[in-house]
Amino acid sequence: MSNMALICTLCFVAVAAFISMRQKLGLEKEILIGTLRSAIQLLFIGYVLHFIFETSHPAFIVIIILCMILVAAWNAGAKARHVRGIRSRIAIALACTEGVTMAILLGLGIITPTPQYIIPVSGIIIGSSMIVCGLLLNHMKREMETARGEMEMLLALGASEKQAIHSSLRRSVRASMIPTIDGMKTVGLVQLPGMMTGMIVAGADPVEAVRYQILIMFVLASSAAMTAMVLSLISYKLWFTRDARLLPLLPAENQ
Amino acid sequence: MQMQLKNISKSKFDVQGEWLFREIAAEIRPNDRIALLGGSGQGKSTLLRILSLLEPFDHGTVLMDGRSSTEWMPQSWRKKVTYVAQKPIMRSGSIAFNLQTVSMLHGGPFEEELARRYMEAVELGRADWNKQAADLSGGEQQRLALVRSLMLRPEILLLDEITSSLDPGSKQAVEKLLLEWVSEATNGAARSYVWITHDLEQARAVSNQVWFMAEGCLLERTETAAFFQSPATEQARVFIRGIQEGKR
Repeated sequence: MSNMALICTLCFVAVAAFISMRQKLGLEKEILIGTLRSAIQLLFIGYVLHFIFETSHPAFIVIIILCMILVAAWNAGAKARHVRGIRSRIAIALACTEGVTMAILLGLGIITPTPQYIIPVSGIIIGSSMIVCGLLLNHMKREMETARGEMEMLLALGASEKQAIHSSLRRSVRASMIPTIDGMKTVGLVQLPGMMTGMIVAGADPVEAVRYQILIMFVLASSAAMTAMVLSLISYKLWFTRDARLLPLLPAENQ
Repeated sequence: MQMQLKNISKSKFDVQGEWLFREIAAEIRPNDRIALLGGSGQGKSTLLRILSLLEPFDHGTVLMDGRSSTEWMPQSWRKKVTYVAQKPIMRSGSIAFNLQTVSMLHGGPFEEELARRYMEAVELGRADWNKQAADLSGGEQQRLALVRSLMLRPEILLLDEITSSLDPGSKQAVEKLLLEWVSEATNGAARSYVWITHDLEQARAVSNQVWFMAEGCLLERTETAAFFQSPATEQARVFIRGIQEGKR
C-alpha cells in the first residue's frame, strides 16, 4: 500500500467524525484519540516486527510474547480489579495456553519456527484468550451476585471454597467459551476472518489462506478451553477471603 | 460445645464509622435454647452470620471450646455451628438431591432413615423425593432447608426466622422437632440453638433464655420466664408491648 493510499484511509475516520458532529454524539475527541493511538501503535509494532524479523533472535520473540501477555493480563484484569491477584493469575493462564499451544504447533511442525509465524499466531492466541478471560470474569462477577445465596448455603453446610463455587465456575467457563464455539460454526458463512482476508489481499491463494484459517479456528477453540479451565482453577480462591467467606459485593458504581 | 462471644462489634455496611452493634458479650452453653429478639435492623441476622463465620466483624473474638475462630478451619467450624437462613435456597434438582447435599459435600453415606424421620417430623413425609425442589412452596422449601441442615448433625444451630413462611400447624411441627433435636446429643456432645423470631409465643415455647438486642447492644440476656414477666429495660418493655398491640 502506498503512503498516499494510507493517508486516504483517513477519509473513513472523517466519516465517523462527521456523523458524530452532525448527530451531536460528542465522540469527536474519542475518535481523534482512537485514530492517533491505533496508527501510532500499529506503526510502532510494524517497525518492531520488522526489526525482529530481520534479527530473528529468539530472545526478542520471547520478549514480545511476554509483553503481549502482560498487556492482555492487565487489560482483562480490569474487569475484576477488586479481586486481589487476578492479573497475575490471568498472566499465568495466558502463558500456559500460549506455551502449550506453541509447543504443539512447533512440535508437530504445523508452523515453521520463525518469527513471521510465531509472533502473529501468538498474538491471535493471546488476544482471543484475553477476551475469554474477560468474559469469564464478567460472568463470575454476575454469579457472585445471583448465586451468592447458593454459595453461602453450601458454605454454611461446611463446603470448601471449591465445592461452594463449583456450579458458578462451571457456568462461567461455559459462558466464556460459547462465543468461540459459535464463531467456529459461522466462520466463512457470516464473517471472513481477518487473517484469511489479509492473506488473500496480500496475494495468497484463497485455499492456502483457508488452510491457515482452519488452523487458527482450531487453535482458538483449544486455547479458549485451556485458558478458561486454567484461569478458573487457579483463581477461584480469590473470590473468597482467607477465612473462606465470599468477597463482599461492590457498590454498583465500582463494578 | 461451648461458644463465647467476647466484645463483638460490627460497623454498618453503608455508613462508615457507625456501629450496627457494639461489644456484644455472651455465651452459648450446651443445651441452651436461646431466642434472639429485637426490632428489625438491629443486626440479629448479622450476628448469627458472624457466629457461623459467614460475615466479618470489626472487633472482638468468637471462641468455640476455648479456641478462637481464627484457629479453626472455617469448614470444621461451620460443620459444628450451622446457620439456617430465613430465605431457603434450593439446589437445582430434586428433593432427594437436596437432602443428599451433606453426604455429597462430606463424602459420607446418605442417612436415608434419618432424613425420612426429619421429613416426617416437619410434615413433609408424603412429599415425592423425585419432585423438583424449586417447585415446592415457600413454606415447604423452608422446612426442607432445615432438614438439609439437620443432616449435617451440627452441635449448635443458628436459626434465622425459619418459620416465617409456615402455617401454624407446620410451625408447631418444626418447633416440636427442634425441641426434640436439642434434647438429643451429637456423638455424645450436647446441642444448643439460637433462634431469631418475631413471634413472642414461639419465643416462650422454644427457649429457656432470651437475648434482646436494641440500640446497637445486647441489652438483655436472661431466662425466658424472667424476660417476659419483668423485662429489665424500658426498651424490652416497649418491644413486647409493640408486638402484643400489633397482634390485636
